[in-house]
Amino acid sequence: MSTYISDSPTHFEFTARHRMFLLVGIALGVICLGMTWMVDDEFHSRFWSNLLHNSVFFTGIALMAGFFLSVCIIAWAGWHTVFKRVWEAMSMNLLVGLVFMTIIALVTYMHGNHLYHWADVKSYVAEDDQILIGKSGFLNKNIYLIFTVVFVGLWLFFMTRIRNLSIAEDSDGDASFSHHHKMRKYAALFLPLVGFSSAAMIWQWIMSIDAHWYSTMFAWYTGASWFVSMMCFTVLSLIYLKGKGYYPEVTKEHIHDLGKFIFAFSIFWTYLWFSQYMLIWYANIGEETVYFKERFDKYPVLFYGNLLVNFILPFFVLMRNDTKRKFGSLGFVAGVVFVGHWIDFFLMIKPGVAINTHHAMGGHGDHGGDHGHGAEHAGEHGHGVAESVGHGAEHASEFVLGTTFPGFLELGTMIGFLSLFILVFFMVLSKARLVPKNDPYLEESLHHHV
Amino acid sequence: MAGKQITYGLYNDETDMMAAVKHANSKHLEIMDVFSPFPVHGLDPLLGLSESRLHIAGFVYGLLGTLTAFLGMTWIFTKDWPIVFGGKPYWSVPAFIPITFELTVLFAAVGMTFTFYILCGLGPGVTNKVLDDRITDDKFCIAFDETEVGRGEAESFFNSTGATEVHSKVL
Repeated sequence: MSTYISDSPTHFEFTARHRMFLLVGIALGVICLGMTWMVDDEFHSRFWSNLLHNSVFFTGIALMAGFFLSVCIIAWAGWHTVFKRVWEAMSMNLLVGLVFMTIIALVTYMHGNHLYHWADVKSYVAEDDQILIGKSGFLNKNIYLIFTVVFVGLWLFFMTRIRNLSIAEDSDGDASFSHHHKMRKYAALFLPLVGFSSAAMIWQWIMSIDAHWYSTMFAWYTGASWFVSMMCFTVLSLIYLKGKGYYPEVTKEHIHDLGKFIFAFSIFWTYLWFSQYMLIWYANIGEETVYFKERFDKYPVLFYGNLLVNFILPFFVLMRNDTKRKFGSLGFVAGVVFVGHWIDFFLMIKPGVAINTHHAMGGHGDHGGDHGHGAEHAGEHGHGVAESVGHGAEHASEFVLGTTFPGFLELGTMIGFLSLFILVFFMVLSKARLVPKNDPYLEESLHHHV
Repeated sequence: MAGKQITYGLYNDETDMMAAVKHANSKHLEIMDVFSPFPVHGLDPLLGLSESRLHIAGFVYGLLGTLTAFLGMTWIFTKDWPIVFGGKPYWSVPAFIPITFELTVLFAAVGMTFTFYILCGLGPGVTNKVLDDRITDDKFCIAFDETEVGRGEAESFFNSTGATEVHSKVL
């Protein structure tokens, strides 16, 4: 058992200054959401899509923190132990996620928004839309509500149990490491649960916005995006905490490993991004290409910028050994990539919502019945990519802040959600020791060397 | 090439060996090399070894692979033998990416392996002389070049730092 004693503060102090700053951020978010509601169309699609975008993004980050902590527990990993409280505190944001996702699910249940075309049963049955009728066993308001509440609730339950055991180990850990053995059992149950349920939730929450379209890589792709964002948040929060004099035990060796995860999973994300694109490009089936055609035509800057920020930047900057060990370069990349993945989610959600809103307002023929267009277009000219980009210019007049590009209201909403995330993170973090006591892997973590 | 006269001591434990390296540094004894059956954390800075530059070579090899694959395919499919595949344009960048990736990895991996072998003097049919067979098994070794550190000085150093065996050898 460890006898490690540190001179540095054992607990994070959540100051009034922190609270004020974060409450101002949250207030900004609330004001921006309110203003979005005011300037919105009759269905408030910008409001609801912003709420969905940020709720999904930050819920996913909380989930991934819990997921990766469980992976480390199961893998007998010791390097992370010294700062495992950071991931425990991040995962407690699942409570916030549960609240927001339940609100969205309830409003969808009561047909209060038009985020999802499949929720509009009357419309697609009347159109004899066989694709949506075929998917209705999974894409319906009951399953959406039940899955959201049950799965996010279960994630929260497991992470609360693991965190409570971890904290109980501080005060009455024993030589047989009984707390750790229990944590292993919870983590072993949690991982397969997350594996299947996160994919189901990604299909429901995000992929079903483009209800006719599907991609078997989408769940992995979104999960990787969450994962990289979570790593970026971890790095930034550790740099902040170290700057405030906490965590002298967290050395460059730990930060280096986190940097490697940002680097590696940025490449993994790119691999999925490209594979999803290339399979659809190669097969050239109209039902599938329509997803990318929409994004080529109306979102060219974000579409290619996404790849630039989330692949080229971390790949070339973090390739070197020393850039992963310097707080400046790593913190810069983590900050930019964090925003980059937020934009990635913008690209997953906004185009589909714009189409669904258009459809719900009575603009038929633009989506449901017009699937042949993409294929015909690419096949005829034999150079689909270049042609589609060229098309972007023709659609330039359709450039709308909040729909085709994040506007100030989106940015303010994001700051609001981020402030709330940090508020919960700080409050939970201040409740327990920063460096755990009696964890069997603590010594290993303190001497971590890469 | 005439061999070097080397005095070396064997230690049972890497912590003894590390302490001895620190002791040698404080007495300004020029260590020729240290041998251990496994990588010892924290040894490199003590010996003043700079970071390996093998990865720079790896980057260059990788870049060479990228260019070979991408420019090669571009030439083949646009100039040398243009064929239409599935109605796609001749210059179909997405289709080139997987092969470009593969050749990047191949060039980097093979190039680095060969560079490493050449730098270490390894390869098929090469028999390298070793100071002591047990340094690949369970012994930790510090070696001095006799022209830098005299035998008497080395032996007293080994005795004072807990070496279990001291030998001298021409290599």
